[in-house]
Amino acid sequence: MLYALAGTLEQGLLYALMALGVYLTFRVLNYADLTVDGSFTTGGAIAASIIFAGGSPWLATAAAVIGGLLAGLITGLLHTAFRITPLLSGILTMTALYSINLRILGRANVPLLRADTVISRFNSWLPLDNIYGASLLGLIIVLLAVIGLYIFLKTEIGLALQATGDNEQMIRAQGVNTNHMKLLGLALSNGLVAISGALVAQNQQFADAGMGIGMIVAGLASVIIGEALFGKRTLLQHIIAVVCGSIVYRAVLALVLRLGLAPTDFKLLTALIVVIALASPQVRTWLGLTKNSRKRGSFDA
Amino acid sequence: MLELIDICKVFDKNTVNEKVALDNVSLTLNNGDFVTMVGSNGAGKSTLLNAVAGMFPLDNGSIILNGNEITHLSEHQRAAMIGRVFQDPLTGTAAHMTVEENLVMAWKRGQRRRLRRAIRFQERAFFREQLAGLGLGLEDRLTTKVGLLSGGQRQALTLLMATMRRPQLLLLDEHIASLDPRTAEIVMDLTCRIVEEQQLTAIMVTHNLEQALSAGTRTVMMHEGRIVLDIQGLERRRMDVLDLMSLFEKNSGTKLSSDRVLLAAKA
Repeated sequence: MLYALAGTLEQGLLYALMALGVYLTFRVLNYADLTVDGSFTTGGAIAASIIFAGGSPWLATAAAVIGGLLAGLITGLLHTAFRITPLLSGILTMTALYSINLRILGRANVPLLRADTVISRFNSWLPLDNIYGASLLGLIIVLLAVIGLYIFLKTEIGLALQATGDNEQMIRAQGVNTNHMKLLGLALSNGLVAISGALVAQNQQFADAGMGIGMIVAGLASVIIGEALFGKRTLLQHIIAVVCGSIVYRAVLALVLRLGLAPTDFKLLTALIVVIALASPQVRTWLGLTKNSRKRGSFDA
Repeated sequence: MLELIDICKVFDKNTVNEKVALDNVSLTLNNGDFVTMVGSNGAGKSTLLNAVAGMFPLDNGSIILNGNEITHLSEHQRAAMIGRVFQDPLTGTAAHMTVEENLVMAWKRGQRRRLRRAIRFQERAFFREQLAGLGLGLEDRLTTKVGLLSGGQRQALTLLMATMRRPQLLLLDEHIASLDPRTAEIVMDLTCRIVEEQQLTAIMVTHNLEQALSAGTRTVMMHEGRIVLDIQGLERRRMDVLDLMSLFEKNSGTKLSSDRVLLAAKA
Protein backbone atom coordinates (compact mmCIF):
# COMPACT_ATOMS: atom_id res chain seq x y z
CA MET A 1 0.00 0.00 0.00
CA LEU A 2 2.84 2.34 0.94
CA TYR A 3 4.53 1.48 -2.33
CA ALA A 4 1.35 2.21 -4.23
CA LEU A 5 1.10 5.61 -2.54
CA ALA A 6 4.72 6.45 -3.27
CA GLY A 7 4.24 5.27 -6.83
CA THR A 8 1.19 7.46 -7.35
CA LEU A 9 2.88 10.48 -5.85
CA GLU A 10 6.03 10.15 -7.94
CA GLN A 11 4.04 9.54 -11.12
CA GLY A 12 1.79 12.49 -10.36
CA LEU A 13 4.75 14.80 -9.77
CA LEU A 14 6.85 13.65 -12.71
CA TYR A 15 3.90 13.95 -15.08
CA ALA A 16 2.93 17.27 -13.50
CA LEU A 17 5.73 18.93 -15.47
CA MET A 18 4.05 17.71 -18.65
CA ALA A 19 0.69 18.99 -17.36
CA LEU A 20 2.29 22.40 -16.72
CA GLY A 21 3.46 22.43 -20.32
CA VAL A 22 -0.05 21.62 -21.52
CA TYR A 23 -1.41 24.35 -19.23
CA LEU A 24 0.98 26.87 -20.75
CA THR A 25 -0.26 26.27 -24.30
CA PHE A 26 -3.91 25.34 -23.75
CA ARG A 27 -4.74 27.84 -21.06
CA VAL A 28 -2.20 30.66 -21.11
CA LEU A 29 -1.54 30.81 -24.85
CA ASN A 30 -4.99 29.48 -25.80
CA TYR A 31 -3.29 27.29 -28.37
CA ALA A 32 -4.31 23.63 -28.79
CA ASP A 33 -0.83 22.17 -29.17
CA LEU A 34 -0.68 18.46 -29.99
CA THR A 35 3.12 18.37 -30.25
CA VAL A 36 3.12 17.00 -26.69
CA ASP A 37 2.67 13.32 -27.65
CA GLY A 38 5.84 13.60 -29.71
CA SER A 39 7.95 15.90 -27.55
CA PHE A 40 7.32 13.83 -24.41
CA THR A 41 8.83 10.82 -26.16
CA THR A 42 11.62 12.98 -27.57
CA GLY A 43 12.54 13.96 -24.03
CA GLY A 44 12.52 10.36 -22.88
CA ALA A 45 14.40 9.14 -25.95
CA ILE A 46 17.18 11.72 -25.75
CA ALA A 47 17.71 11.18 -22.03
CA ALA A 48 17.63 7.39 -22.32
CA SER A 49 20.01 7.26 -25.29
CA ILE A 50 22.60 9.47 -23.63
CA ILE A 51 22.41 7.57 -20.34
CA PHE A 52 22.50 4.24 -22.19
CA ALA A 53 25.66 5.41 -23.98
CA GLY A 54 27.19 6.17 -20.57
CA GLY A 55 26.61 9.89 -20.45
CA SER A 56 25.85 11.94 -17.36
CA PRO A 57 22.15 11.71 -16.42
CA TRP A 58 22.00 15.45 -15.63
CA LEU A 59 23.46 16.26 -19.01
CA ALA A 60 21.03 13.80 -20.58
CA THR A 61 18.08 15.53 -18.92
CA ALA A 62 19.33 18.95 -20.03
CA ALA A 63 19.71 17.69 -23.59
CA ALA A 64 16.15 16.37 -23.45
CA VAL A 65 14.91 19.87 -22.55
CA ILE A 66 16.68 21.32 -25.57
CA GLY A 67 15.05 18.67 -27.75
CA GLY A 68 11.65 19.69 -26.40
CA LEU A 69 12.30 23.40 -26.93
CA LEU A 70 13.22 22.71 -30.54
CA ALA A 71 10.12 20.56 -31.10
CA GLY A 72 7.92 23.38 -29.81
CA LEU A 73 9.78 25.88 -31.94
CA ILE A 74 9.12 23.81 -35.06
CA THR A 75 5.39 23.64 -34.34
CA GLY A 76 5.44 27.39 -33.74
CA LEU A 77 7.25 28.09 -37.00
CA LEU A 78 4.81 25.93 -38.95
CA HIS A 79 2.02 28.03 -37.52
CA THR A 80 3.55 31.51 -37.59
CA ALA A 81 5.68 31.37 -40.74
CA PHE A 82 3.43 29.21 -42.91
CA ARG A 83 0.08 30.01 -41.32
CA ILE A 84 -0.79 26.35 -40.78
CA THR A 85 -3.58 26.00 -38.21
CA PRO A 86 -2.46 25.35 -34.59
CA LEU A 87 -4.02 21.91 -34.50
CA LEU A 88 -2.44 20.76 -37.76
CA SER A 89 0.98 22.27 -36.95
CA GLY A 90 1.06 20.21 -33.77
CA ILE A 91 -0.08 17.04 -35.51
CA LEU A 92 2.55 17.47 -38.22
CA THR A 93 5.37 17.90 -35.71
CA MET A 94 4.07 15.05 -33.59
CA THR A 95 4.00 12.74 -36.61
CA ALA A 96 7.46 13.78 -37.78
CA LEU A 97 8.78 13.31 -34.24
CA TYR A 98 7.65 9.69 -34.22
CA SER A 99 10.27 8.89 -36.87
CA ILE A 100 12.84 11.16 -35.26
CA ASN A 101 12.29 9.55 -31.87
CA LEU A 102 12.88 6.10 -33.36
CA ARG A 103 16.12 7.41 -34.84
CA ILE A 104 17.21 8.79 -31.49
CA LEU A 105 16.36 5.54 -29.72
CA GLY A 106 17.95 3.47 -32.47
CA ARG A 107 15.52 0.67 -31.65
CA ALA A 108 12.01 0.24 -30.30
CA ASN A 109 13.02 0.23 -26.64
CA VAL A 110 16.07 1.45 -24.70
CA PRO A 111 16.33 -0.19 -21.26
CA LEU A 112 17.91 1.69 -18.34
CA LEU A 113 17.88 -1.12 -15.77
CA ARG A 114 20.46 -0.41 -13.08
CA ALA A 115 21.68 2.49 -15.16
CA ASP A 116 22.95 5.67 -13.54
CA THR A 117 19.94 8.05 -13.61
CA VAL A 118 19.17 11.36 -11.92
CA ILE A 119 16.90 9.41 -9.60
CA SER A 120 19.59 6.89 -8.59
CA ARG A 121 22.03 9.77 -8.11
CA PHE A 122 19.53 11.65 -5.98
CA ASN A 123 18.77 8.53 -3.94
CA SER A 124 22.47 8.06 -3.24
CA TRP A 125 22.49 11.45 -1.53
CA LEU A 126 19.64 10.49 0.76
CA PRO A 127 20.52 8.89 4.12
CA LEU A 128 18.66 5.61 3.64
CA ASP A 129 17.28 3.61 0.79
CA ASN A 130 14.14 5.62 0.49
CA ILE A 131 11.04 4.71 -1.49
CA TYR A 132 10.11 8.38 -1.64
CA GLY A 133 13.34 9.39 -3.39
CA ALA A 134 11.78 9.86 -6.81
CA SER A 135 8.83 11.73 -5.28
CA LEU A 136 11.15 14.06 -3.42
CA LEU A 137 13.20 14.79 -6.52
CA GLY A 138 9.98 15.25 -8.49
CA LEU A 139 8.66 17.61 -5.83
CA ILE A 140 11.81 19.75 -5.92
CA ILE A 141 11.77 20.01 -9.71
CA VAL A 142 8.02 20.69 -9.82
CA LEU A 143 8.37 23.38 -7.15
CA LEU A 144 11.12 25.04 -9.17
CA ALA A 145 8.96 24.82 -12.29
CA VAL A 146 5.90 26.27 -10.52
CA ILE A 147 7.85 29.16 -9.03
CA GLY A 148 9.74 29.76 -12.26
CA LEU A 149 6.58 29.71 -14.36
CA TYR A 150 4.77 32.06 -11.99
CA ILE A 151 7.62 34.56 -11.84
CA PHE A 152 8.09 34.40 -15.60
CA LEU A 153 4.40 34.99 -16.35
CA LYS A 154 4.50 38.12 -14.16
CA THR A 155 7.45 39.67 -16.02
CA GLU A 156 7.00 42.18 -18.81
CA ILE A 157 7.53 39.46 -21.40
CA GLY A 158 5.36 37.03 -19.44
CA LEU A 159 2.44 39.46 -19.40
CA ALA A 160 2.79 39.94 -23.15
CA LEU A 161 2.65 36.14 -23.51
CA GLN A 162 -0.50 35.94 -21.39
CA ALA A 163 -2.10 38.74 -23.36
CA THR A 164 -1.31 36.96 -26.63
CA GLY A 165 -3.51 34.12 -25.42
CA ASP A 166 -6.13 36.47 -24.02
CA ASN A 167 -6.54 39.08 -26.76
CA GLU A 168 -4.15 39.02 -29.67
CA GLN A 169 -5.44 42.21 -31.27
CA MET A 170 -5.02 44.13 -28.04
CA ILE A 171 -1.42 43.18 -27.42
CA ARG A 172 -0.44 43.71 -31.05
CA ALA A 173 -1.83 47.22 -30.75
CA GLN A 174 0.53 47.60 -27.76
CA GLY A 175 3.49 46.80 -29.97
CA VAL A 176 4.09 43.11 -29.27
CA ASN A 177 5.00 40.67 -32.02
CA THR A 178 2.49 37.94 -31.18
CA ASN A 179 4.29 35.42 -33.40
CA HIS A 180 7.35 35.70 -31.18
CA MET A 181 5.20 35.16 -28.10
CA LYS A 182 3.67 32.02 -29.61
CA LEU A 183 7.12 30.65 -30.48
CA LEU A 184 8.31 31.37 -26.95
CA GLY A 185 5.25 29.80 -25.34
CA LEU A 186 5.36 26.68 -27.48
CA ALA A 187 9.08 26.22 -26.92
CA LEU A 188 8.79 26.60 -23.14
CA SER A 189 5.77 24.32 -23.02
CA ASN A 190 7.43 21.52 -24.94
CA GLY A 191 10.61 22.03 -22.95
CA LEU A 192 8.61 21.27 -19.80
CA VAL A 193 6.99 18.30 -21.51
CA ALA A 194 10.40 16.96 -22.50
CA ILE A 195 11.81 17.23 -18.96
CA SER A 196 8.79 15.26 -17.86
CA GLY A 197 9.49 12.61 -20.52
CA ALA A 198 13.16 12.46 -19.53
CA LEU A 199 12.34 11.99 -15.83
CA VAL A 200 9.57 9.46 -16.48
CA ALA A 201 11.91 7.40 -18.68
CA GLN A 202 14.57 7.41 -15.96
CA ASN A 203 12.03 6.52 -13.30
CA GLN A 204 10.46 3.64 -15.24
CA GLN A 205 13.95 2.65 -16.41
CA PHE A 206 13.21 2.46 -20.10
CA ALA A 207 12.17 4.63 -23.01
CA ASP A 208 10.20 3.47 -26.03
CA ALA A 209 8.68 5.08 -29.07
CA GLY A 210 5.15 4.70 -27.69
CA MET A 211 5.64 6.30 -24.27
CA GLY A 212 4.06 9.60 -25.36
CA ILE A 213 0.89 8.24 -26.92
CA GLY A 214 -2.19 9.88 -25.41
CA MET A 215 -0.02 12.26 -23.38
CA ILE A 216 -1.89 15.34 -24.54
CA VAL A 217 -5.20 13.97 -23.30
CA ALA A 218 -3.61 12.95 -19.98
CA GLY A 219 -2.23 16.48 -19.67
CA LEU A 220 -5.61 18.00 -20.43
CA ALA A 221 -7.25 15.68 -17.91
CA SER A 222 -4.80 16.89 -15.25
CA VAL A 223 -5.45 20.53 -16.10
CA ILE A 224 -9.22 20.11 -16.05
CA ILE A 225 -9.31 18.00 -12.88
CA GLY A 226 -7.01 20.49 -11.17
CA GLU A 227 -9.13 23.47 -12.16
CA ALA A 228 -12.33 21.77 -11.07
CA LEU A 229 -11.01 20.65 -7.66
CA PHE A 230 -8.58 23.40 -6.71
CA GLY A 231 -9.79 26.49 -8.58
CA LYS A 232 -8.18 28.97 -10.91
CA ARG A 233 -8.94 32.36 -9.45
CA THR A 234 -5.40 33.65 -9.40
CA LEU A 235 -2.46 32.71 -11.57
CA LEU A 236 -0.57 30.99 -8.75
CA GLN A 237 -3.66 29.07 -7.67
CA HIS A 238 -4.21 27.98 -11.28
CA ILE A 239 -0.64 26.72 -11.68
CA ILE A 240 -0.67 24.82 -8.38
CA ALA A 241 -4.09 23.39 -9.25
CA VAL A 242 -2.61 21.88 -12.41
CA VAL A 243 0.11 20.12 -10.39
CA CYS A 244 -2.45 18.81 -7.91
CA GLY A 245 -4.67 17.79 -10.81
CA SER A 246 -1.86 15.65 -12.17
CA ILE A 247 -1.46 13.88 -8.82
CA VAL A 248 -5.20 13.28 -8.50
CA TYR A 249 -5.34 12.00 -12.05
CA ARG A 250 -2.58 9.45 -11.37
CA ALA A 251 -4.31 8.46 -8.13
CA VAL A 252 -7.55 7.81 -10.00
CA LEU A 253 -5.69 5.65 -12.50
CA ALA A 254 -3.98 3.70 -9.70
CA LEU A 255 -7.31 3.19 -7.96
CA VAL A 256 -8.98 1.96 -11.11
CA LEU A 257 -6.10 -0.40 -11.72
CA ARG A 258 -6.59 -1.84 -8.25
CA LEU A 259 -10.24 -2.36 -9.02
CA GLY A 260 -9.14 -4.74 -11.73
CA LEU A 261 -9.06 -2.71 -14.93
CA ALA A 262 -6.26 -3.56 -17.36
CA PRO A 263 -3.53 -0.91 -17.80
CA THR A 264 -4.29 -0.98 -21.51
CA ASP A 265 -7.69 0.54 -20.72
CA PHE A 266 -6.05 3.68 -19.29
CA LYS A 267 -6.33 5.73 -22.45
CA LEU A 268 -10.03 4.98 -22.77
CA LEU A 269 -10.52 5.97 -19.17
CA THR A 270 -8.52 9.18 -19.62
CA ALA A 271 -10.53 10.15 -22.66
CA LEU A 272 -13.71 9.48 -20.68
CA ILE A 273 -12.54 11.71 -17.83
CA VAL A 274 -11.88 14.56 -20.24
CA VAL A 275 -15.21 14.01 -21.99
CA ILE A 276 -17.07 14.04 -18.68
CA ALA A 277 -15.30 17.22 -17.60
CA LEU A 278 -15.92 18.98 -20.90
CA ALA A 279 -19.51 17.77 -21.17
CA SER A 280 -20.56 18.52 -17.62
CA PRO A 281 -21.52 22.20 -18.13
CA GLN A 282 -23.79 21.18 -21.02
CA VAL A 283 -25.29 18.28 -19.08
CA ARG A 284 -25.93 20.57 -16.12
CA THR A 285 -27.81 22.91 -18.41
CA TRP A 286 -29.93 20.02 -19.67
CA LEU A 287 -30.71 19.01 -16.13
CA GLY A 288 -31.49 22.58 -15.17
CA LEU A 289 -28.81 22.63 -12.48
CA THR A 290 -26.98 25.72 -13.66
CA LYS A 291 -27.31 28.64 -11.32
CA ASN A 292 -27.89 31.91 -13.06
CA SER A 293 -26.51 34.11 -10.34
CA ARG A 294 -22.83 33.53 -9.90
CA LYS A 295 -21.31 34.97 -6.80
CA ARG A 296 -18.99 37.80 -7.56
CA GLY A 297 -19.34 39.95 -4.50
CA SER A 298 -16.16 39.41 -2.54
CA PHE A 299 -13.94 39.27 -5.61
CA ASP A 300 -10.59 40.94 -5.22
CA ALA A 301 -11.03 42.86 -2.01
CA MET B 1 2.60 65.11 -39.30
CA LEU B 2 0.83 62.25 -41.05
CA GLU B 3 0.94 62.02 -44.82
CA LEU B 4 -1.15 59.55 -46.78
CA ILE B 5 -0.08 59.59 -50.41
CA ASP B 6 -2.26 57.92 -53.05
CA ILE B 7 -3.10 54.94 -50.93
CA CYS B 8 -5.09 52.17 -52.60
CA LYS B 9 -6.63 48.99 -51.30
CA VAL B 10 -8.80 46.53 -53.20
CA PHE B 11 -10.24 43.61 -51.29
CA ASP B 12 -10.85 40.25 -53.02
CA LYS B 13 -9.15 41.47 -56.17
CA ASN B 14 -10.15 39.71 -59.40
CA THR B 15 -13.12 37.97 -57.85
CA VAL B 16 -16.85 38.66 -58.07
CA ASN B 17 -16.58 40.18 -54.60
CA GLU B 18 -13.95 42.69 -55.66
CA LYS B 19 -14.32 45.81 -53.57
CA VAL B 20 -12.34 49.00 -53.94
CA ALA B 21 -12.02 50.04 -50.32
CA LEU B 22 -9.50 52.88 -50.71
CA ASP B 23 -9.31 54.65 -54.05
CA ASN B 24 -6.18 56.83 -54.29
CA VAL B 25 -6.67 58.51 -50.95
CA SER B 26 -4.33 61.36 -50.11
CA LEU B 27 -4.58 63.21 -46.82
CA THR B 28 -2.16 65.30 -44.80
CA LEU B 29 -2.60 65.88 -41.09
CA ASN B 30 -0.61 68.60 -39.41
CA ASN B 31 0.52 68.09 -35.86
CA GLY B 32 -2.35 68.83 -33.52
CA ASP B 33 -5.04 68.17 -36.11
CA PHE B 34 -8.00 66.33 -34.59
CA VAL B 35 -9.89 64.98 -37.58
CA THR B 36 -13.43 63.67 -37.27
CA MET B 37 -14.23 61.31 -40.11
CA VAL B 38 -17.74 60.62 -41.37
CA GLY B 39 -19.28 58.72 -44.27
CA SER B 40 -21.88 56.07 -44.96
CA ASN B 41 -21.33 52.41 -44.22
CA GLY B 42 -18.69 50.91 -46.46
CA ALA B 43 -17.25 54.31 -47.36
CA GLY B 44 -13.78 53.19 -46.27
CA LYS B 45 -13.41 55.04 -42.96
CA SER B 46 -12.43 52.06 -40.87
CA THR B 47 -10.37 50.65 -43.73
CA LEU B 48 -8.41 53.89 -43.81
CA LEU B 49 -7.74 53.70 -40.08
CA ASN B 50 -6.76 50.04 -40.32
CA ALA B 51 -4.45 50.84 -43.24
CA VAL B 52 -2.69 53.45 -41.16
CA ALA B 53 -2.48 51.01 -38.23
CA GLY B 54 -0.93 48.41 -40.52
CA MET B 55 -3.52 45.66 -40.34
CA PHE B 56 -3.06 44.79 -44.03
CA PRO B 57 -0.56 45.65 -46.78
CA LEU B 58 -1.51 48.40 -49.24
CA ASP B 59 -1.84 47.82 -52.97
CA ASN B 60 -0.30 51.19 -53.66
CA GLY B 61 0.70 54.44 -52.02
CA SER B 62 2.70 55.33 -48.96
CA ILE B 63 2.16 56.39 -45.38
CA ILE B 64 4.60 58.77 -43.73
CA LEU B 65 4.40 59.61 -40.05
CA ASN B 66 6.56 62.50 -38.84
CA GLY B 67 9.01 61.94 -41.67
CA ASN B 68 9.25 58.17 -41.20
CA GLU B 69 8.00 55.96 -43.97
CA ILE B 70 5.84 53.38 -42.18
CA THR B 71 4.12 51.85 -45.22
CA HIS B 72 5.95 48.56 -44.89
CA LEU B 73 6.15 48.31 -41.12
CA SER B 74 4.07 45.62 -39.46
CA GLU B 75 1.17 46.38 -37.16
CA HIS B 76 3.13 45.83 -33.96
CA GLN B 77 6.02 47.97 -35.18
CA ARG B 78 3.72 50.88 -35.93
CA ALA B 79 2.12 50.45 -32.52
CA ALA B 80 5.21 52.07 -31.03
CA MET B 81 4.04 55.34 -32.61
CA ILE B 82 0.28 54.87 -32.85
CA GLY B 83 -2.33 54.60 -30.11
CA ARG B 84 -5.64 52.96 -30.95
CA VAL B 85 -9.12 52.62 -29.50
CA PHE B 86 -11.49 50.21 -31.19
CA GLN B 87 -15.25 50.17 -31.71
CA ASP B 88 -15.73 47.05 -29.61
CA PRO B 89 -14.83 47.74 -25.94
CA LEU B 90 -13.68 44.11 -25.69
CA THR B 91 -10.97 44.54 -28.32
CA GLY B 92 -8.71 47.03 -26.59
CA THR B 93 -8.10 45.26 -23.29
CA ALA B 94 -7.22 41.76 -22.08
CA ALA B 95 -10.27 40.54 -20.17
CA HIS B 96 -8.62 37.88 -18.03
CA MET B 97 -5.86 40.16 -16.85
CA THR B 98 -6.06 42.87 -14.21
CA VAL B 99 -6.41 46.61 -14.73
CA GLU B 100 -2.80 47.23 -13.68
CA GLU B 101 -1.50 44.41 -15.89
CA ASN B 102 -3.28 45.93 -18.86
CA LEU B 103 -1.86 49.33 -18.01
CA VAL B 104 1.70 48.12 -17.62
CA MET B 105 1.51 46.38 -20.99
CA ALA B 106 0.39 49.65 -22.55
CA TRP B 107 3.04 51.60 -20.67
CA LYS B 108 5.63 49.37 -22.38
CA ARG B 109 4.29 50.20 -25.84
CA GLY B 110 7.28 51.05 -28.00
CA GLN B 111 9.68 50.17 -25.15
CA ARG B 112 11.80 47.09 -24.78
CA ARG B 113 10.04 44.39 -22.78
CA ARG B 114 12.34 42.62 -20.36
CA LEU B 115 12.44 39.61 -18.11
CA ARG B 116 11.83 41.60 -14.97
CA ARG B 117 8.83 41.91 -12.74
CA ALA B 118 6.30 44.02 -14.58
CA ILE B 119 4.49 45.67 -11.69
CA ARG B 120 6.32 47.14 -8.76
CA PHE B 121 5.51 49.76 -6.20
CA GLN B 122 6.32 52.80 -8.35
CA GLU B 123 4.18 51.55 -11.23
CA ARG B 124 1.20 51.08 -8.94
CA ALA B 125 1.36 54.64 -7.67
CA PHE B 126 1.72 55.99 -11.19
CA PHE B 127 -1.20 53.94 -12.52
CA ARG B 128 -3.41 54.95 -9.61
CA GLU B 129 -2.74 58.57 -10.40
CA GLN B 130 -3.43 58.06 -14.11
CA LEU B 131 -6.68 56.21 -13.42
CA ALA B 132 -7.82 58.87 -10.98
CA GLY B 133 -7.59 61.30 -13.89
CA LEU B 134 -10.35 59.39 -15.66
CA GLY B 135 -12.74 60.15 -12.82
CA LEU B 136 -14.41 56.73 -12.97
CA GLY B 137 -13.21 55.34 -9.66
CA LEU B 138 -10.95 52.84 -11.39
CA GLU B 139 -7.98 53.86 -9.22
CA ASP B 140 -9.31 51.58 -6.48
CA ARG B 141 -9.66 48.62 -8.79
CA LEU B 142 -6.09 48.07 -9.93
CA THR B 143 -6.24 44.34 -9.28
CA THR B 144 -9.71 43.76 -10.71
CA LYS B 145 -9.88 41.60 -13.81
CA VAL B 146 -10.80 43.84 -16.73
CA GLY B 147 -13.55 41.42 -17.78
CA LEU B 148 -15.52 42.52 -14.73
CA LEU B 149 -15.61 46.18 -15.82
CA SER B 150 -18.41 47.74 -17.82
CA GLY B 151 -18.06 48.56 -21.52
CA GLY B 152 -17.63 52.25 -20.78
CA GLN B 153 -14.98 51.62 -18.14
CA ARG B 154 -13.11 49.32 -20.51
CA GLN B 155 -13.26 51.91 -23.27
CA ALA B 156 -11.99 54.64 -20.95
CA LEU B 157 -9.20 52.30 -19.87
CA THR B 158 -8.34 51.58 -23.52
CA LEU B 159 -8.22 55.31 -24.17
CA LEU B 160 -5.83 55.76 -21.27
CA MET B 161 -3.73 52.84 -22.51
CA ALA B 162 -3.56 54.38 -25.98
CA THR B 163 -2.46 57.77 -24.71
CA MET B 164 -0.58 57.49 -21.41
CA ARG B 165 2.62 57.08 -23.34
CA ARG B 166 2.05 59.91 -25.77
CA PRO B 167 1.44 58.49 -29.28
CA GLN B 168 2.46 60.36 -32.42
CA LEU B 169 -0.97 59.53 -33.76
CA LEU B 170 -4.21 58.48 -32.10
CA LEU B 171 -6.74 56.41 -34.04
CA LEU B 172 -10.29 56.21 -32.69
CA ASP B 173 -12.54 53.87 -34.65
CA GLU B 174 -16.12 54.69 -33.61
CA HIS B 175 -14.93 54.15 -30.09
CA ILE B 176 -18.12 55.36 -28.43
CA ALA B 177 -20.62 53.86 -30.89
CA SER B 178 -21.40 50.79 -28.81
CA LEU B 179 -21.78 52.61 -25.49
CA ASP B 180 -25.02 53.83 -23.98
CA PRO B 181 -25.61 57.58 -24.51
CA ARG B 182 -24.51 58.72 -21.05
CA THR B 183 -21.37 56.63 -20.99
CA ALA B 184 -20.65 57.66 -24.56
CA GLU B 185 -20.74 61.28 -23.47
CA ILE B 186 -18.34 60.66 -20.60
CA VAL B 187 -15.86 58.82 -22.83
CA MET B 188 -16.22 61.50 -25.52
CA ASP B 189 -15.49 64.30 -23.04
CA LEU B 190 -12.52 62.35 -21.81
CA THR B 191 -11.29 61.91 -25.38
CA CYS B 192 -11.49 65.61 -26.15
CA ARG B 193 -9.76 66.47 -22.88
CA ILE B 194 -6.87 64.06 -23.43
CA VAL B 195 -6.38 65.08 -27.06
CA GLU B 196 -6.35 68.72 -26.06
CA GLU B 197 -4.10 68.33 -23.02
CA GLN B 198 -1.51 66.32 -24.91
CA GLN B 199 -1.91 68.24 -28.17
CA LEU B 200 -2.40 64.93 -29.99
CA THR B 201 -2.79 64.37 -33.69
CA ALA B 202 -5.86 62.19 -34.00
CA ILE B 203 -8.40 60.70 -36.37
CA MET B 204 -11.82 59.78 -35.00
CA VAL B 205 -14.37 57.87 -37.05
CA THR B 206 -17.94 58.66 -36.06
CA HIS B 207 -21.47 58.20 -37.36
CA ASN B 208 -22.72 61.18 -35.47
CA LEU B 209 -22.67 64.26 -37.75
CA GLU B 210 -23.37 66.60 -34.87
CA GLN B 211 -20.38 65.24 -32.99
CA ALA B 212 -18.28 65.32 -36.15
CA LEU B 213 -18.68 69.09 -36.16
CA SER B 214 -18.59 69.78 -32.43
CA ALA B 215 -15.53 67.71 -31.60
CA GLY B 216 -12.11 68.04 -33.19
CA THR B 217 -10.60 70.69 -35.41
CA ARG B 218 -11.24 69.31 -38.86
CA THR B 219 -13.85 67.13 -40.56
CA VAL B 220 -13.27 64.71 -43.41
CA MET B 221 -16.01 62.89 -45.27
CA MET B 222 -15.46 59.70 -47.22
CA HIS B 223 -17.53 58.03 -49.89
CA GLU B 224 -16.78 54.89 -51.88
CA GLY B 225 -13.16 54.85 -50.87
CA ARG B 226 -12.48 58.50 -51.62
CA ILE B 227 -12.35 61.68 -49.59
CA VAL B 228 -15.21 63.86 -50.77
CA LEU B 229 -15.03 66.63 -48.22
CA ASP B 230 -12.30 68.12 -46.05
CA ILE B 231 -13.15 71.21 -44.04
CA GLN B 232 -11.58 73.10 -41.19
CA GLY B 233 -11.37 76.55 -39.65
CA LEU B 234 -13.99 79.13 -40.47
CA GLU B 235 -15.65 77.06 -43.17
CA ARG B 236 -16.19 74.28 -40.64
CA ARG B 237 -17.37 76.56 -37.88
CA ARG B 238 -20.07 77.98 -40.13
CA MET B 239 -21.41 74.59 -40.97
CA ASP B 240 -24.31 72.84 -39.28
CA VAL B 241 -25.48 69.26 -39.52
CA LEU B 242 -27.93 69.92 -42.35
CA ASP B 243 -25.25 71.73 -44.38
CA LEU B 244 -22.98 68.78 -43.84
CA MET B 245 -25.67 66.41 -45.05
CA SER B 246 -26.43 68.37 -48.17
CA LEU B 247 -22.74 68.79 -48.91
CA PHE B 248 -22.37 65.09 -48.56
CA GLU B 249 -25.18 64.50 -51.02
CA LYS B 250 -23.74 66.99 -53.49
CA ASN B 251 -20.21 65.66 -53.26
CA SER B 252 -21.09 62.04 -53.49
CA GLY B 253 -23.94 62.41 -55.93
CA THR B 254 -26.21 60.21 -53.83
CA LYS B 255 -28.80 60.61 -51.15
CA LEU B 256 -27.70 59.66 -47.69
CA SER B 257 -28.86 56.10 -47.35
CA SER B 258 -27.68 55.13 -43.93
CA ASP B 259 -30.39 55.31 -41.30
CA ARG B 260 -27.73 55.62 -38.67
CA VAL B 261 -26.44 58.87 -40.15
CA LEU B 262 -29.95 60.31 -40.39
CA LEU B 263 -30.89 59.28 -36.90
CA ALA B 264 -27.66 60.65 -35.58
CA ALA B 265 -28.30 63.91 -37.37
CA LYS B 266 -31.74 64.25 -35.79
CA ALA B 267 -30.53 63.44 -32.33
